[in-house]
Amino acid sequence: MDETFTRRRVLGAAVAALVVSPVRPARAAGIFRLGLTPVFLDNDAAVIDGLRLALSRLMGREIELVQRRTYEEVTGLLLEGALDAAWLCGYPYLQHASALELVAVPVWRGRSLYQSYLIAGADDPAAGLPDLRGALHAFSDPDSNSGYLVTVTDLRRMGERVETFFARAIFTYGHRNVVRAVANGLTRSGSVDGYVWEALAKIEPSLTERTRVIARSEWLGFPPICARAGSAGAEPVEALRKALLTMAETPEGQRALSALQLDGFEPADPSLFDGIAARMADLER
Amino acid sequence: MRLWRHLPLSLRLPLLAAAMMVLVGVVASQQVLRALTRVQDARVRELAQMHVEGLSVALGPLVLRRDIWEIYDTLDRASKGSEGQRMVLTVVADETGHVLAATDPRKVPVDSLISDLARGAAAPGDLTVGSSSPILRLGAPLVYQGRTVGTIVSELDVSDLIAERRHALVILVVGNALATLVLAVAGYVVLRRMLRPLSAIATQMADTSGRPHPIPQAEIPEGDDELTRLAQTYNAMTAAIAAKAEAERRLAERERFVALGRLSSSLAHEINNPLGGLLNATDTIRSFPDRPEIVLQSAELLDRGLRHLRDVVRVTLDHNRVDHGGRNLLPEDFEDLRALIQPEIARLQQRLDWSASIPAAGVAVAAGPVRQIVLNLILNASAAAGQGGHVGMSASVDSKGLDIEITDTGPGMSPSALDRLLTDAPLAPGGGVGLRLARELAMRLGGRILHERREGVTRIRLHVELGGQAADAA
Repeated sequence: MDETFTRRRVLGAAVAALVVSPVRPARAAGIFRLGLTPVFLDNDAAVIDGLRLALSRLMGREIELVQRRTYEEVTGLLLEGALDAAWLCGYPYLQHASALELVAVPVWRGRSLYQSYLIAGADDPAAGLPDLRGALHAFSDPDSNSGYLVTVTDLRRMGERVETFFARAIFTYGHRNVVRAVANGLTRSGSVDGYVWEALAKIEPSLTERTRVIARSEWLGFPPICARAGSAGAEPVEALRKALLTMAETPEGQRALSALQLDGFEPADPSLFDGIAARMADLER
Repeated sequence: MRLWRHLPLSLRLPLLAAAMMVLVGVVASQQVLRALTRVQDARVRELAQMHVEGLSVALGPLVLRRDIWEIYDTLDRASKGSEGQRMVLTVVADETGHVLAATDPRKVPVDSLISDLARGAAAPGDLTVGSSSPILRLGAPLVYQGRTVGTIVSELDVSDLIAERRHALVILVVGNALATLVLAVAGYVVLRRMLRPLSAIATQMADTSGRPHPIPQAEIPEGDDELTRLAQTYNAMTAAIAAKAEAERRLAERERFVALGRLSSSLAHEINNPLGGLLNATDTIRSFPDRPEIVLQSAELLDRGLRHLRDVVRVTLDHNRVDHGGRNLLPEDFEDLRALIQPEIARLQQRLDWSASIPAAGVAVAAGPVRQIVLNLILNASAAAGQGGHVGMSASVDSKGLDIEITDTGPGMSPSALDRLLTDAPLAPGGGVGLRLARELAMRLGGRILHERREGVTRIRLHVELGGQAADAA
């Protein structure tokens, strides 16, 4: 009885959160708000707390990490000023390049680059994207480079369209969700952030073992930390940039980076995202 | 059934008790299992109802938006909960019956039709935990904001409930069997103990060679319960029977003396009558020794008188002969009886109608008892007829047997006299035993005595079938 009520309450609350999703219009003074796109560990409170704690120490101020279901929501919050900075994807950064500035970019396995993986079930015979015609496919987010743009542009290069090539395409709004969808057989294939898949392979091998990478994209610019244009170089974004760049030097920072399986952060140049820009250009053609 | 009737009571009662225990056990077990089934059904139905309601609330908007991932994610997370252990599969379809998501997408792919699954699915309120299938299929419309937006089909794993029921059944069966066994054995021992005095009485009664013996005082249970009283009553009864037998023996003795007395007086009368004539004859012989014709006449008179005396003595001897069984009934027996009764008839100035059609070769009936019965009945009839009355005796033999009828013109027999003659009712004090003796002798002969009172005449009829009395008469 109690158990069911609890469950019902939890489900109800989840639905309410999804439907209502209120956005705080004004921000409290002194608190730094950093938006997070649904990265692989967004379901792990310990990782989020570690990151918040490390940044808070380094910046000497309270940090609030703001999570939303979609990239679009986070990007919107940043653009409207509800966030001081946000960890975005290269694709939305490029979509709003004129309004945004790069603060830093993570370093993964020595480089600020990552790939998009096309995955299928572990026992799926598909050898590449062309074999997935008529499949049920899982994308991460319509504003994700690795979880959407790469596959869509690949299809475009094959002269195909998502709507006709796949029997049905769904958005899971999370890279980990894409892996879950494919691993559990909800969809036959999925487009996922290669960094997320590799990280999951270490911490949740039972999940990734049930999937198989059937195609990898070229190396593309790693999702960067962005701020509104003009706010970089001034407080408090400058403090964030310094904190990120020196994160690897503090124990809390190392713990946070280790949880994120990142080496650190480095200054970013817009040219890092030329590959993504090329794909965007393909899409618009 | 026949075997059952032959079982001793000390075995039958515990067996009955055990059978009752088994019956009670079976009924109680049935009730327990039924209650358990009801509880389990209610549990499953409540769970199913909440499952459907919870999913409707959580999935309603997602189904409206056809948000496959969110529906799947919600189902997946819900199935990880404790309730998920029971719900092995949940499928959600849109209003056209196409599957939106299932907890096991490989088994039920997206966009497949739910109709196959929904077939045979029961509504939450109709779910019943049967013993046949460990999986129950639940089907319900997904209602959101008052309208049906889709369908939910779930499979519930109820194998634990079935196992629980089977476990309960085993426990009940084993428990009842043990309890029944223990109680049956205990009941057997206790009842056997309790019934021991009864067995003792039964043994004593079965073992009565001749007459019942009392139960030794040591074997009578202490206390004042029914069995103690029964044993004491039985002992009192055996004592009473012994006393009664003794009293009857004494009464029979007395009756014999009474009959002897009557006979003696008759005999004296019978002897006295000719005695005067005989003495007269001797006087005549003495007075006229020289007159041969007178001496001869007197000698003849003496001879007749002495022969008469000889006859009287013979009859008396015959009647009192101890041998009652050996000899068949002869016509002479009736002559003897007539001679015996004659003095009493004469004394009371009665008329005697005598008819005895008995073959000269005799009848195959013991003479002694018949003589005693007829003598008792005639003496009784004579006494009833009174001064100047009529008494009749007729005896005949035909193929059916021996028939003897004694009649008198007396006032009729009293009820107590009839009881003595016709029933085995206890003897009322004060009455004679002649009639009862006649009855008992007739019984021993295998005969029967009938009574009839018609037109002022009392008729007592003795009927003895020929050949049927040999064993009794021996």
